[in-house]
Amino acid sequence: MLQMSKSPALTATLLEIANLTKSFDGVKAVEDVSLHLREGIITTLVGPNGAGKTTLFNLITGHLRPTAGDIRWQGESIVGTAPWKIARLGVARTFQDLRLFSHMTVFENVLTVMERSAWFWQSEAGSGAERHQRVHEILDATGLLHKADVRANDLAYAERKFLSVARIMATKAKMWLLDEPASGLDPRSYERFVALLRSEVRRGITICIIEHNLEIVVSISDRISFLDQGRLLADGEPEEILGNPELSSIYFGERNS
Amino acid sequence: MFAYLVNLATLVCINAILAITLNFIMGYAGIFSLAHAVFFGVGAYVAAFIALQWTDSLLLQLLAAMIVAGLISAALALPALRVRGDYFVAASLGFQVLAATVFSEWKSVTGGIGGLVGVPPASIGGHAFGDPVEFLGLAAVTLALVVVLTTAIVRSSLGRSLKAIRDSESAALAFGKNVALIKTLSVFYSASICAVAGVLYADYLGFINVESFTIDASTLFMAMVIVGGIGTVWGPIVGAVLLTLLPAALTYLPFLPRTEIGSVQQMIYGFAMVLLMIFKPDGLMGVKRGEA
Repeated sequence: MLQMSKSPALTATLLEIANLTKSFDGVKAVEDVSLHLREGIITTLVGPNGAGKTTLFNLITGHLRPTAGDIRWQGESIVGTAPWKIARLGVARTFQDLRLFSHMTVFENVLTVMERSAWFWQSEAGSGAERHQRVHEILDATGLLHKADVRANDLAYAERKFLSVARIMATKAKMWLLDEPASGLDPRSYERFVALLRSEVRRGITICIIEHNLEIVVSISDRISFLDQGRLLADGEPEEILGNPELSSIYFGERNS
Repeated sequence: MFAYLVNLATLVCINAILAITLNFIMGYAGIFSLAHAVFFGVGAYVAAFIALQWTDSLLLQLLAAMIVAGLISAALALPALRVRGDYFVAASLGFQVLAATVFSEWKSVTGGIGGLVGVPPASIGGHAFGDPVEFLGLAAVTLALVVVLTTAIVRSSLGRSLKAIRDSESAALAFGKNVALIKTLSVFYSASICAVAGVLYADYLGFINVESFTIDASTLFMAMVIVGGIGTVWGPIVGAVLLTLLPAALTYLPFLPRTEIGSVQQMIYGFAMVLLMIFKPDGLMGVKRGEA
């Protein structure tokens, strides 16, 4: 791994990945990755396809179990914890293929995320009226209010993307893992999207985002972690990473081939 | 003729409860079970056994049947937690075949192939429901309660959690839903209310044997749900009415020789199913869904 100069004002680590490895039938999708995801900033994972970025997300959220290494949430290991328990600790995510609750309405998609209890009473989510109010606010912030009663399936592409963010806003998570949330957005939607993320970060949310588009990476990242073939090659400030000719050649070499 | 209609109406009520409870797990939890007749049978055998051995109290029979079926529902919940879709259908089919064998072989409890006969009419507070019209009233009230309760659950947070799991289990997990618990609860509810239909059936007919609880019955219940419309409130009821009355109506076709009715019925069934799936794939009460 290339050693980058440490930025002076690093915030506390919220999630720590230590020597994490994941093999599928001997093929290492993630190999000996160590990474600190720091509080209150946007960290971007970049790297060519197959670099292991999504696998890393799946390991963090418990959808996959690591072959070796550890993942610590606020100092406590969460390896082997069920995905729904990890979610309740405060880690929420979106999926590259969105995985909306496609036959439910936009309103229900957001509401059901607040209702985590399996029983009828939702003690931690507040009263029914409070929940409805909160859904209303979230749909307003994501520009989906006029589509509240439309099925997720019947939304336009950009609206689906915003719904996936609306859903994550309904969680009380401190950390959001966003898997290519901006891909395919037109410039106007994209600007709204970045503004939304920025306002959430100001609210205290920590974001880790997988992104391919370098323009977006530049405009959004506080820190960048560069992965290739399952290994973490570099981790640092955007200028350091993007200014490094070796990393660009890996990135663009792979992309243009 | 009146007695005949009362009989049909009672069977419609019982079948509707079965279709509603199957629709609950098929339409809202995405669990396609071919073992629904097992819980129908468990309810019926428990009721008949208790009625013959101990008491004709309907409430006690209902309570016992719901508890036993609820516990046995773990046999369905366990595979449902591990596998989805086609694999679960195969697992439930195995469970259905196994249970039918138990029904026909466990002679001391189920009466074997011959079944249990002479089940006395059930009673509530000393009042026996021996009169068919009264029993129809009982069945109709039970059906109404099941509709109200199931609709309330579907519209509650639990119902939304179920639909979320059906649409994307991994996303439901990622948003903190205890998928295993929610699925287990839904299967428990479905099985125990299904057993209520079994209790009514045994008490109504006064005679039960394994023939009513085989894979044929499970398939028929699934057909009711699909014909009516999966995941809708009224679909399973419409399906139950149609598939209960259709065989009865066919016997009235004057030009059919009595001996051929069975095979003609099967052909009309099959033909209707094919037409329905071509023109109304979401069922009669189904809303057109957008592309997947």
